Amino acid sequence: MIGLTSERITEELRSFSAKLAQGGQTLRDLGEIETGVSPREAVYQEDKLTLYRYQPRVAQPHPVPLLIVYALVNRPYMMDLQEDRSMIRGLLDAGLDVYLIDWGYPDAADRELSLTDYIHRYIDHCVDALRERCGQDAINLLGVCQGGTLSLCFSSLYPEKIRNLVTMVTPVDFHTPDNLLTHLIRHVNVDLLVDTLGNLPGQLLNFTFLSLSPFRLAGQKYVDLTDILDDAQALRNFLRMEKWIFDSPDQAGAAFRQFAKDFFQQNKLIKGEVNIGDRRVNLGNIVMPVLNVYAAQDHLVPPAASKALAECCGSRDYTEFSFQGGHIGIYVSGRAQREVPPAVAAWLLAR
Amino acid sequence: MTDQNSTAEPGLFDVELLLKQARAYLAFGEQIRQFAEQSPDAGAQPPDWDTTLRQHFDRFKAAVAQSTEDSNADPDLARLWTLTLESWQQAASSLGVSAIAPRADQSADGWRAYQQVQGEYLELLRQSAVAALDLMEQRLRERAAAGTVADSLRELFNLWVDCNEETYGRMLRGAEYSELSGRLLNALLGCCARGEPAS
Repeated sequence: MIGLTSERITEELRSFSAKLAQGGQTLRDLGEIETGVSPREAVYQEDKLTLYRYQPRVAQPHPVPLLIVYALVNRPYMMDLQEDRSMIRGLLDAGLDVYLIDWGYPDAADRELSLTDYIHRYIDHCVDALRERCGQDAINLLGVCQGGTLSLCFSSLYPEKIRNLVTMVTPVDFHTPDNLLTHLIRHVNVDLLVDTLGNLPGQLLNFTFLSLSPFRLAGQKYVDLTDILDDAQALRNFLRMEKWIFDSPDQAGAAFRQFAKDFFQQNKLIKGEVNIGDRRVNLGNIVMPVLNVYAAQDHLVPPAASKALAECCGSRDYTEFSFQGGHIGIYVSGRAQREVPPAVAAWLLAR
Repeated sequence: MTDQNSTAEPGLFDVELLLKQARAYLAFGEQIRQFAEQSPDAGAQPPDWDTTLRQHFDRFKAAVAQSTEDSNADPDLARLWTLTLESWQQAASSLGVSAIAPRADQSADGWRAYQQVQGEYLELLRQSAVAALDLMEQRLRERAAAGTVADSLRELFNLWVDCNEETYGRMLRGAEYSELSGRLLNALLGCCARGEPAS
């Protein structure tokens, strides 16, 4: 029936147990697991935020700096995970001058930080710092996931400061039928959550992401891990990713409250009803060239949620790039290294 | 200003995650081994293996039901399908809400209300797990009809994972799950609000 004898299964289980026992030593011998491999220096700091400049890899990098705005969720070293899996290195190799905002880890003192702080203060100050440092009226902006949504808001409010905008796996329409995160947050009492907890704990976010595919992400993955327990290099790669997955900063309460209610629950961005401070976000103000990069198999930000930008931004130079992979693969897969940074760089260098 | 890139000691990897799933895999293997022992020879006629397969999956489902009623009955088998609940309880625990009893400073009513919703959540997960076993049984029949046999226990485990993801995914996308998972978090927060908010 199943083609397996009791003896065969017993042998397979014995072999599995043996690998597991031997793997413990490999794990102990690994030493430090490094994440974030490209040399960089901090060029600006404010509160817990640090703005980094990555060391250029060409003699004369492009004069217009590229600022990467990562999501508030998870840590930005996903963009520079290891030497052969680094979107940042790919951008540097293409001749770009790359900067990145590291938001740090919000704590209880940051519970009142709002999207107004993140956009009108933090992003704006970083953009101004780069404009001054590089002697440019406008810089290039690359927003990743939620960082892309924040970048859209910023570009709408300060279009004169942005020369080109790249959005990557960025939600714009939060109410497409396949948006699982919206589906899960629909009935959550966000006010009760923030009023009770102050900040949104990273562990609750972890639960949400793992609950989208628990049998693969929390079960099968670890069973498969036994197959590489004798391979130190493969194990290091696994542990880098594992570290990133569980390295979830808490979310500043006030910012989370507005993002969850206005963007996820009420889909105000696409309706032109989001206010950041006392200013209204109108995506029609985004008139600079836009490159919208999405992942065709993205389970967190479905392509339709990203592609909605085409209909609501004001740019006459709007381009889409479809990556054949998922939300994580777009940063770390071999295909992503070959395709995404060169495409982004070529698009920017042509403008 | 200089930067020190992030480093992690290997000890930061939670080896218990690996060990728990390893034990669950061994429990799964034991279930399949029992089936293989009772299964007729590969050359048996369909009515024989059909009956054996049905009987085995009935026992498998009964074992799942038993692990619902008493998680200590076979915790490793229970872990095969309660991954989501376990992960949820860890998150709840980080907020100071125990799965076993309310803290002295927490309202017993709020805690009981939360337990009630958590019970509903567990039942939804159990239904999905049983549906996954039905689906796996169906897939095995289809494979047998096509003359396909499994090469390894891992292949059957992967089939079991695929079936669970399929039935779980259907449940996850349903309105009932959206409503219930929201209610679960709200009830948990109700517990916290009556006690001390986690910092």
